[in-house]
Amino acid sequence: MEILKLEHVKKNFGGLPVIQDLSFSVSESSVFGLIGKNGAGKTTTMKMLLGFLKSDAGEIKVCGEKVAYGDTRTNRHVGYLPDVPEFYSYMTPVEYLRLCGEISGQKPRPIRKKTEELLALVGLENSNRKISGFSRGMKQRLGIAQALMNEPRLLICDEPTSALDPVGRKEILDILSIAGKQTAILISTHILSDVERLCDHIGILDDGKLVLQGKLSDIKNSYRHSFLRIALADQDSVAVLAGKLANLPFVSAVEAKENSLTVRLEDMATEGLKILELLLREQVFVLKYEVLEPSLEDVFLEVIQ
Amino acid sequence: MNGLIAFTKKEFLEQIRSYKAVIMVSVLFLFGMMSPLLAKMMPDIFAQLTVQGISISMPEPTVLDAYGQFFKNMSQMGLIVLLLVFNVILSQEVTRGTLVILLAKGLSRSAVIMSKYLASLILWTVSYVLAAITDYGYTVYLFGSFSLPHLFFSLFCLWLFGAFLLAVLLLASTLASGNYGGLLLTAAVMMLLLIANVFPVSQKWNPVALASDNITLLTNAETFGDMSVTAWTALLLIVLCLILSIIVFRKKKL
Repeated sequence: MEILKLEHVKKNFGGLPVIQDLSFSVSESSVFGLIGKNGAGKTTTMKMLLGFLKSDAGEIKVCGEKVAYGDTRTNRHVGYLPDVPEFYSYMTPVEYLRLCGEISGQKPRPIRKKTEELLALVGLENSNRKISGFSRGMKQRLGIAQALMNEPRLLICDEPTSALDPVGRKEILDILSIAGKQTAILISTHILSDVERLCDHIGILDDGKLVLQGKLSDIKNSYRHSFLRIALADQDSVAVLAGKLANLPFVSAVEAKENSLTVRLEDMATEGLKILELLLREQVFVLKYEVLEPSLEDVFLEVIQ
Repeated sequence: MNGLIAFTKKEFLEQIRSYKAVIMVSVLFLFGMMSPLLAKMMPDIFAQLTVQGISISMPEPTVLDAYGQFFKNMSQMGLIVLLLVFNVILSQEVTRGTLVILLAKGLSRSAVIMSKYLASLILWTVSYVLAAITDYGYTVYLFGSFSLPHLFFSLFCLWLFGAFLLAVLLLASTLASGNYGGLLLTAAVMMLLLIANVFPVSQKWNPVALASDNITLLTNAETFGDMSVTAWTALLLIVLCLILSIIVFRKKKL
């Protein structure tokens, strides 16, 4: 079942189109990564999902219900972690989670139980002091705890790791991957290694459009054509070989660096063989022959060009 | 309903932890205590001032003077304190973004407005009643027991004006942006009302009378009828302000 569905959503800010015809969906128990540069429209999209911004056209549905601008009933299915979550600094985490539980209409006993569970999950069980003394990482962890308080079917995280140090980032990613087992997650980010760790589906947002979307593994497979690295023992023959490789019709680019060459191909299976033939013919001493895994970064940079 | 109760509880906690409650209660309490004392001591204070052989003689202060002091302090400094204490209750949450998480939990925006009004009204009421009781006690202690016509109604009028001010402030905060936009807009509205009060035709309908004619009410029983019209007008305006606040806030971009 589709937890979230966007159809032909558009949004302009003073004549400037920020989102142009955006359509995608997030299904149950999947982790969808919305990737884009700063200013690509990620936060705008999330605010529209929550009814905080009015979309100019199109339809957004959460659990089959239409999202309305202003007060929207669909938010009861949603847990939201803003990019920089702001809490009432005079409260303790337990008090804050109680407030969240009461707002979503839970009874005192389940609230206490849930609070204990979630604080243990995010590693804040022993910090019973006021939120004003919290570090950014701790606030982010509390942010996840509050987002999960109402047992949402969709967790929306807006750049959850971008303001954190490496340790804090790892902690948040670990918590999110646990949370992802129980709920669908929509995560926006520009940190691609986070996406590779967490997401199973991605959408790349550029200039208000999704330029690429699908299963992460499919996308990586379809971009597998790309790169071959050949390391040679003899540095002098690098330049000679680079020239010969560049002359091959199917090679679209060759880059020489110290004793290695990076060759760009379209079809690794057949063209790779021809490269091997060339290496044999030239009688060069090859240290390493490696098909490079396309990183998400390559894919990203390629599609937003 | 869950949201309204939970959010109102949060408002009370905020009043206590951010010292809003302490400030309101203690400042108004001080006014209640000081006013009769100041009225009683005024002739003695002036007696000390002998300016170049001129001695100022003042009539013996009365209960009316004591209440004159109380209404003057409350309607000026008291209401300013009220505005300053409650100025940021809504705007700060919008600018800092603390509301975003709770609204994303399904808290309704009308509950936010109603909770804010209810909690601030209750704090105003508690501080005001405490001040009025203290004032009454001290007046009896210093001037002996007394009876003034319409004293309760006159006190009620000033309280109602405070309630009106809070509603205007809330509406102004939903309309204006920034931490001081609401305060500025409220000040502008009050200026307009004060200017309008110059014209006798509109005086009857102008809530400003609730905070300026309290002493007249104690001495001249004939103004009672006019004042009750003013009170009903103020009540109507409060309801109107709240409804408008909700309508505006529901469509506010966050």
